[in-house]
Amino acid sequence: MSYCLTLSLLLGCFTLATVLEPLFSKMPMREGSTPSVLAAMMGDSRRMFANHFFAQADAYFHSGFYPTIFDTAVPEERGHLTEAREDHEKEAHEGTFLGHPADWIDRFGRNFYPTVHTHLGNGQEGEILPWLKLSADLDPTRVETYVTAAYWLRTTLNKPDEAEEFLRQGLRSNPDSYEILLELGRIDFYNKADTRVARNLYELALQKWRRADSVGQKPDGHIYEEIFGELVRADRKEGDLKQELADLQELLKVSPNKDSLRQTIADVTAQLSRPGTQPQR
Amino acid sequence: MNNILALAGVVIKELYRRKDFYVLFVLTAMITLMLGSVNIFSDQTIVRYLKDVCLLLIWISSLVIAITTAARQIPAERESRTIFPLLAKPVSRGELIVGKFLGCWLACGIALLVFYFFFGVITASREHAWPWAIYLQAVWLHWICLGIIVAMSLLGSIIFAAPSSNSTICFVVVLGILFAGGHLNRVALGMHGARGAVLYALYYLIPHLEWYDLRELVVHDWNSIAWLPWIGATIYGLLYAGFFLAAAWLAFRRRGLTL
Repeated sequence: MSYCLTLSLLLGCFTLATVLEPLFSKMPMREGSTPSVLAAMMGDSRRMFANHFFAQADAYFHSGFYPTIFDTAVPEERGHLTEAREDHEKEAHEGTFLGHPADWIDRFGRNFYPTVHTHLGNGQEGEILPWLKLSADLDPTRVETYVTAAYWLRTTLNKPDEAEEFLRQGLRSNPDSYEILLELGRIDFYNKADTRVARNLYELALQKWRRADSVGQKPDGHIYEEIFGELVRADRKEGDLKQELADLQELLKVSPNKDSLRQTIADVTAQLSRPGTQPQR
Repeated sequence: MNNILALAGVVIKELYRRKDFYVLFVLTAMITLMLGSVNIFSDQTIVRYLKDVCLLLIWISSLVIAITTAARQIPAERESRTIFPLLAKPVSRGELIVGKFLGCWLACGIALLVFYFFFGVITASREHAWPWAIYLQAVWLHWICLGIIVAMSLLGSIIFAAPSSNSTICFVVVLGILFAGGHLNRVALGMHGARGAVLYALYYLIPHLEWYDLRELVVHDWNSIAWLPWIGATIYGLLYAGFFLAAAWLAFRRRGLTL
């Protein structure tokens, strides 16, 4: 009797599985989510961890010198992973967020963890990538993760193909991302010297930015400025003075460096007015 | 002294007879090797995440080994009634406490050596370097930290009724100190009145286990720490372990042996 009952329960489970499995597989996936193991295991809570792992990448960039939740301020106003791409010099000042030791335990304890502000360099920037990759797996809609990883891959690590692959993965999850398109354009412009493709990508990024603006999404104005900056560089490389002038005039509307831009516009205008200068394109 | 060493020897034998250590080591090794085989943008030089995860697993494993081994020593002797012939040897209660402590502590040390050797091999296979000074300091301070924890667990095994409750409380206290112990002063400064004063007193009172965690320095290839703080932390740790052992002896001295 007990064997029959166990067997009938097993048969019941099997039958139910054959009915339910097709139903579950037809359920619509949420936008931007991927059917990965992580997604299946963690559900939407994984997005919360994605932020943590992005911060972990920033902590690695500072070689462990990073504030905890008990520290009041971050090392700088913007994380280094996201700020404008500039060279970082090694700094050696103690206590940007640590402050002065409050007591002897605090002072003594500082012997056992990093207290000097440094940045990764000499190709070691790759150490942040595992956390960015994990962050992207956990939250595929987090555009910043793709752009940051791609920046380091295409610049100091000299891996433009990997950067492009990662950005394309991000673009599949975020088809309207002007930041990803801008970064893809930079790979073609700076790493592959394909100005035409780069220009097309910049223009597509510009379209996406304007579309986002028109529907009231308040896109990042700094990115708009960066897109025009890259367009101007592409125009200059192609020798298209007329287009360069047009893009410079657009850039002038949003750039804070108006004086130097006016000078550049005057120079380009002068070049255009010279006899024998043929506007290309 | 012979009694203490004999007791310690029995505890060490118990470690390699039980499966805990092997299971934890295999788990640590498997997870580390699995993570090491992950392709991160075709870059074989990336190693810090691997060191970080491996060290985290080593810390978790060592805490599990230290707390569970120490927490069950005296309750197991009482439960199986082997404590009566043991104390009739004659072994004094103080010797029993010290012998059990020494056994657990040495057993943890042996386990740590195996774990850190594995860590060193994995790291050296990627980095092709062996920064022995910081490794030595990290293993030593880790071991001293486990000494405090073992002594604390032994005290808990006399105070609390069951090994399970003792283990749980020890885990909560140890993890709490490791996570927030070094920051209690700042939290206390943000409070007013008696609450702040009590918290600040607690900050001075607790053993600062977070000093013994050199993971950040090892993972990010920092230089070894100065030897004077290293010696200072060692003395501080030994004093705290001694305090917990003395408290355990005081509590055990007049405690009935029957359950």
